[in-house]
Amino acid sequence: MMDLKREGTFGQMLNKSRKILIVGAAGGLARILTSILSKANPEDQIIGVDSRPQVEEFKRENVQFLKIRYTRGNFEKLFRDNEFHAVYHLARMSHAYSNKSNLAQRLDLNIMGTNRILELALKFDVKKMIILSTYHVYGALSDNPTFIAEDAPLKASIKHPELRDVTEMDQLATNWMWKNQHRIETVVLRPCSIIGPQIRNSMSQYLTTKYVPLGVDFNPMFQFIHEFDMANILARSLKEVPTGIYNVAPDEVVSIKKAKEIIGLPTFKIPLITLSPMTLAVKKIWNFPDYLIEYIKFSCVIDNAELKKHLKDDFLRFSTKEALELLKLKL
Amino acid sequence: MLKDILKTINLKTSSEDRKKFDQVFSKLYSIYGESEDPWGLDLHKTKNSIEYVWPLYKKYFKVRVFGKENVEDRPYMITSNHTGQIAIDGMLISTAFAMEIGPPRILRAMVERFFTGLPFIGTWAAQGGAVLGDRQNCEKLLERNQSVLVFPEGVKGISKSTKDFYKVQNFTRGFFRIALSSGVPILPIAVIGAEEFFPYVYQAKSIAKKFGLPALPISANYIPLPSPIDIYIGEAYMPPSHLNSDSTDKDIDLHIFEIESIIQKMTNDGLKKRRNFWANAK
Repeated sequence: MMDLKREGTFGQMLNKSRKILIVGAAGGLARILTSILSKANPEDQIIGVDSRPQVEEFKRENVQFLKIRYTRGNFEKLFRDNEFHAVYHLARMSHAYSNKSNLAQRLDLNIMGTNRILELALKFDVKKMIILSTYHVYGALSDNPTFIAEDAPLKASIKHPELRDVTEMDQLATNWMWKNQHRIETVVLRPCSIIGPQIRNSMSQYLTTKYVPLGVDFNPMFQFIHEFDMANILARSLKEVPTGIYNVAPDEVVSIKKAKEIIGLPTFKIPLITLSPMTLAVKKIWNFPDYLIEYIKFSCVIDNAELKKHLKDDFLRFSTKEALELLKLKL
Repeated sequence: MLKDILKTINLKTSSEDRKKFDQVFSKLYSIYGESEDPWGLDLHKTKNSIEYVWPLYKKYFKVRVFGKENVEDRPYMITSNHTGQIAIDGMLISTAFAMEIGPPRILRAMVERFFTGLPFIGTWAAQGGAVLGDRQNCEKLLERNQSVLVFPEGVKGISKSTKDFYKVQNFTRGFFRIALSSGVPILPIAVIGAEEFFPYVYQAKSIAKKFGLPALPISANYIPLPSPIDIYIGEAYMPPSHLNSDSTDKDIDLHIFEIESIIQKMTNDGLKKRRNFWANAK
C-alpha cells in the first residue's frame, strides 16, 4: 500500500528527531497518518492521543498512544513535558450522527477543544499546526458554483444549524491561523469526501450501505479522495505546505449515481423531495443525518488549485474509480 | 410511454436521424469525453434527450437556423433574447448548436438560481449542459474553451405580458464583464416565434412574489403551441480591447446597448420574414 518513492522523499525531509503530536489518534485516518509518519522517519517520535481507545496497538517503537481527554489538565502536561515540533488536530467530533441533542456536546468539544489545542500549541512554541476541517463547511446548496475556492463563504449552517460546530471550528482555526501566522505555521485542510475501508464517516457509510435512498430527481457531483491519499497529504503538509487554507480534492468529479454504480450495491430509488418528510420514519431503520439529504441533492465541488501549487499534480495515487472500488473492501 | 406518444403524433425519429445522432455524438464524445464533467454534463444522457427533442425541434417547432456561417470553431459568449414564458428557447438554441452547426458543440446555458434547485428538471438540464448562471462557472467554462449561452434579460425576458412580446428588455451587465475578462467574442442571437407558444399571457407578479417564484404566467394554454421558430445568428461582437472587466458601468453600457440594439434589429427583421403561424399545418 505504501508509495515507497514518496516515502523516501519524505524521509529525507525529516532529517532529525522531532516529536509530533496527533490529536484524535484512534481514528482511521489518524492511524494511516501515524503509520506513514513513523515509517518515513524512524528518528521521529509520534505521540497519539484520543479519548477513545485505539483499535490495535502500533508495533513501532517510535509510536506512543495515550488515552486521555484533551480538555483535561494532563493534556497540558503532555505539552509541557514534550517539546512538540508539530501538532495534527484530527479530533473533530464527527457530525455524522448530528442532531439537536448532541449539538451542545459537539460545540463544546469541537470549539472549546480546538481552542485549547491552539492555545497550548502557541504557549509551548509548536512550529507547525495542521488542522483537519471538511468541505462540508461550504454547504450543499442549489446555488453553489462548481469549484468553490477557499475564500468562499461558509454556508453549511444556513440550512442546518446543527452543523454550526463544523463552520465555527473552521473559522476559529483560520482566524487564529492568520492572527498568529508570524509565530506558528498553520495549515487548515478542507478535504472532499474521504473514503476507504478504515474510514467511518457518513459518506463512506452511505456508499457502502445497501438500499440507501438515491434520488431520481437529483444527481449531484462529488469528489472522493482515498484515505491513504488523504493521510499522505497530511504527512506532506508538514514540510511542503505553508500557512493557509487548502481544499483537498482530486480533479476528477463523479455523480453520486455513478459512484453508487461503481460500488454496485442496490439502492432505494426515490424522489428526494419526499425524503425530508420521511426522515423520521427512515431514521428508525437507519441513522440518516438530515444535512446529508442536502449533500445527495446538491453539489459541493471544491477547487484544488491552491494545494496543487505546493504539491503539484502528482499528489494522488488513487483515481476516483479506484478509491470507490477499494471501498468495496469494507463490504 | 413517451415513445408511444411521439409515435401517435408522428414525431418518430427516422433511421436517418439516428445516423446523424451517432455522427454528431461521436464528435462530441471526442471533444467533451464520455464521462460526466464537473458541472454534471453527461453526453450519454444528452444524446437520449436529443433523440426526443429533435423530432419536436424539426417537426413541431419547425426550427430554421440562419447565419450559421457566422459561427467559427472557437468559444463564444452566445447572447440571446429570451422569450416564451418557459425557457424552451434555450433548449432549441442548444439543439441547433449541437445538431446543425459545425463543429457540433454543447452550449453551457446559464440558468437561474431558482432552476438548479428544481427536482428532475434541474438534473435533466445539467446533464444536457445547463449550469447555474454564476460568474465563476461562466469564467471556468470559457477557460476550458466551452461556449456559454446567456440570456442577459434574465427572467424579465421570458416573463413578459402579451403587449411586450418581442421587445428586448434591458440587459444586465455581468455577461459583458465576463466576456471582457475572458476575451471571448459575443455572438448575438435572436429567436423568433417563441412568444407565440403562449399567445395570451398575464404575469401574476404579486402572487409569484408571495410564493417566491421568479414569474407566474397566467395563460390560456400551458402546452406550447406549435409556433414555427427561426433562430438568427448575428456576426460576432468583439469586446473592445481598451475596456476591462472593472471598467465603469458608463463605459460598458454603450456596448451593452449596442448589443441590445443588434438583437432588437435582428428580431425586427426576423419578424418581417417569419412564416405563417399555421406553417406547421402544411
